Amino acid sequence: MSQPRLHVDASRRLPALDLRVRLDLDTETLVLFGPSGAGKTTTLDMVAGLADPDAGEISLDGHTFFRRGAPGTAGGAPPVRVPARDRHVGYVFQQYALFPHMTALQNVMYPLGHTPAGRGQAGGAGRAARQARAHALLERVRLDGVADRFPRELSGGQQQRVALARALAAEPRLLLLDEPFSAVDAAVREHLQRDIAELQSELGLIVIYVTHRLEDAFALGHRIAVLREGRIEQVGPIAEVFRRPATAGVAEVMGIRNLLSVRVVAADAGELRLDWEGLELSAPPQPARVGDRALAYIRPEEVKLLYGDRPLSRSVAYNRFEGQVLRVLSGAGFREITVRLPNGREVDVRFPLLSYGALDLRPGVAVQLALRREALVLLGPG
Amino acid sequence: MTEALLLSLRVTAVALALAVAAGLPLALLLARGRFRGKSLLETLILLPLVLPPSVIGFYLLVAFGRSNPLARQAGLHLLFTWPAAALASAVVALPLMVQASRAAIAQVDPALERAARMLGSGEAEVLRRITLPLARRGILAGVVLAAARAFGEFGATLMVAGNIPGRTQTLPLAIYDAVQTGNLAAANGMVLLMTALSFASLWVVRRFETRAAFADRPAGGATPSPGGSGLPAGA
Repeated sequence: MSQPRLHVDASRRLPALDLRVRLDLDTETLVLFGPSGAGKTTTLDMVAGLADPDAGEISLDGHTFFRRGAPGTAGGAPPVRVPARDRHVGYVFQQYALFPHMTALQNVMYPLGHTPAGRGQAGGAGRAARQARAHALLERVRLDGVADRFPRELSGGQQQRVALARALAAEPRLLLLDEPFSAVDAAVREHLQRDIAELQSELGLIVIYVTHRLEDAFALGHRIAVLREGRIEQVGPIAEVFRRPATAGVAEVMGIRNLLSVRVVAADAGELRLDWEGLELSAPPQPARVGDRALAYIRPEEVKLLYGDRPLSRSVAYNRFEGQVLRVLSGAGFREITVRLPNGREVDVRFPLLSYGALDLRPGVAVQLALRREALVLLGPG
Repeated sequence: MTEALLLSLRVTAVALALAVAAGLPLALLLARGRFRGKSLLETLILLPLVLPPSVIGFYLLVAFGRSNPLARQAGLHLLFTWPAAALASAVVALPLMVQASRAAIAQVDPALERAARMLGSGEAEVLRRITLPLARRGILAGVVLAAARAFGEFGATLMVAGNIPGRTQTLPLAIYDAVQTGNLAAANGMVLLMTALSFASLWVVRRFETRAAFADRPAGGATPSPGGSGLPAGA
């Protein structure tokens, strides 16, 4: 594998957290995912140069931004600390941070005096060129019509796009986005996500995108890095991480319910047999040894309800149990029920709103369900 | 009266220049700096607001008089000249300048300064293009208040510059003289002029403040500056 473009290996002690981050990125969008307080923003700040790691090394395209020795990491090499203004990293802040005393156009023009292209040209010609470039950038985010408005005269989504255009005006190779869509509505968010995805591939950017919303992660990221309590617990393609969280912590952070505490009772080439506190489960073959205690999980979508009077399809031929409905919850487009099984444990079942219309689903009634065998995943030792 | 007015204008201009030159860096330091002894420094700067002018005058006499070997060495012959009056006015005007500017600068969201740094600005440029423009109304309010205070300085000026007609007699001192000598007509004119100027400057400051509370803030973030211009009760 070739040298990664962005290399981050940084640690910093925070009042409530001991942050230690290692990341290697190529031209891609990496979603930095985690609950609030996990150290996501501090990680971005360290890459941007707004916060210094206590120790570590950060480099972009072979250019070292930061290096401070720590035992084992960068011992011997001289310390480096490039200030934020010289890193040419684009940063879109959570609260936009548009300059309130400048119009949208002036905001986007702000960094143009600093770029190699903008600097050489002084005087009126340079100004006209910068103005044209700013207009082009605003047009790129479909905002040229409001170029002369001040930030307070723009909607949240428009402000966010101005902030994006301004960050791109500095011609960054690396773009940092800190929960950029936390304050805009769903339709605007979708638009912006598409913009960012397009710009990323068009300009060959490295994008680090911080969010705690799984939907944003799926919409944007090539890969996801799950940050939890200051540590990166797993990095990988999003669908992969979502399907196979490496640890119980990742599963929890990603909102995965139905963690089952199991013991491996038999393992052969075709099947893993598990004891889940009295219920026997069948799982696809996975690395495990007989006698291992582990956490298994199954996504609520993979627990199927069964109609007692219809023939069963092959996919629900295993792990069938009868249980009692405890709770019913309806959301936008889906329903979720919690069922208690004979071993006293509960599983969440999630399905589209219109499914199982013929079933009587109220708290207290008995239902048949199956934990889909192929979806039963073993996590590390629990 | 014209003579006193012209002298007052000159004294005020010099005092204001001194107060701004010293006050703006101090305001920045107090608004953005984090260091030991910060509240001690702030208290010292604000002290002239509450000290009797005669006490300030006394300190200045000690500092610049012949009893101070440093002043003697430097060959300073400041006392009982109009620059002494300007110095006294600058000292009493400084707290107003510092307080109003400090409040305005503290109101500027540090995130904007961070954003400017990310866009390639060094500290001087951040100051010139972001911090000072965004704090300009509060700073202007400080300038106007400081000017008004310097223009009306009486007690400390009397102590360090005396009351020499044509040389150190500013408008407030001329009013005092006119009343002492029973020249009420002259006193009336000068009092009216002082009142009008003071009223006008306060009115300007009020306008700065009400507008500052609505303009230059991100949508939804409109908060009037805490403590306003720091207008003290006795200014």
